Amino acid sequence: MGLERNVNLFTALQYKGQGPMLTYVLHRIAGVGLFTFFITYIMALAGVGFINALYQNWLFQLIVLFCATFHAINGMRITILDIWPHLQRYQHKAIRVEWAIFWPIYIIAVVIVLRPVFGF
Amino acid sequence: MTTAKRTLPLSKRGFNFETIMWFFTRLSAFAMYAFMLAGVIGALIVSAQTKSNFGDVLRWALLPNVVTPNPLSGMPLIGILAKLMVLGFIAIVAAHGVHGILAILDDYFTSDAARGAFRKLIIVMFAIAILIAIYGLFFAAK
Repeated sequence: MGLERNVNLFTALQYKGQGPMLTYVLHRIAGVGLFTFFITYIMALAGVGFINALYQNWLFQLIVLFCATFHAINGMRITILDIWPHLQRYQHKAIRVEWAIFWPIYIIAVVIVLRPVFGF
Repeated sequence: MTTAKRTLPLSKRGFNFETIMWFFTRLSAFAMYAFMLAGVIGALIVSAQTKSNFGDVLRWALLPNVVTPNPLSGMPLIGILAKLMVLGFIAIVAAHGVHGILAILDDYFTSDAARGAFRKLIIVMFAIAILIAIYGLFFAAK
């Protein structure tokens, strides 16, 4: 039987956990986003027609790209720190490295997605 | 700053569902990176060999029931291998995903009945996703 932890998202965001807490919350949000995308993909494979129109939407693409890129990079950080626990002392630095890797990749992806939409 | 040691002998960890899935979540993440890398490299190779668009190869591999032309029509065995790779990727993603959702649900639903029901539900969701993927990839292709 687990502990009763009636903590909603708003309360969680007010917690002064800084970077590690925010990446933890964001990892979950991105994971739920990706799972939603996975369900739409399975629906597309099942032949549901409107999904393909959804995939053409640039906002949908940007959200999926954010979720996928962040979840993958943050997941890699979590796994590395789990495998080598003595590196936990550097977790704040690891989070800064993670964002330094994430933003260039995401900005390039955003430019590629938005270029045909806005014609630049 | 000192960090507490987290090295617990395997005999005391208890190889229950949670421990196995903890391992699986990490390993499946690595498997997904490997699938993505292999998929991109493979798609680059076959797109060069067939003189087709790299994006068309990936779109055909992932959504064959939507994309009409098969860029690998001249390479049927490679096509089957690509489909099997996509199916393996979907299986890993589905297992990783449903377990992630279960971990979140476990944080908000603490009764044994609810947790047991959610475990059964994710297994059913996983099975349905795999069945639809097999149908979509191998039987519904145009």
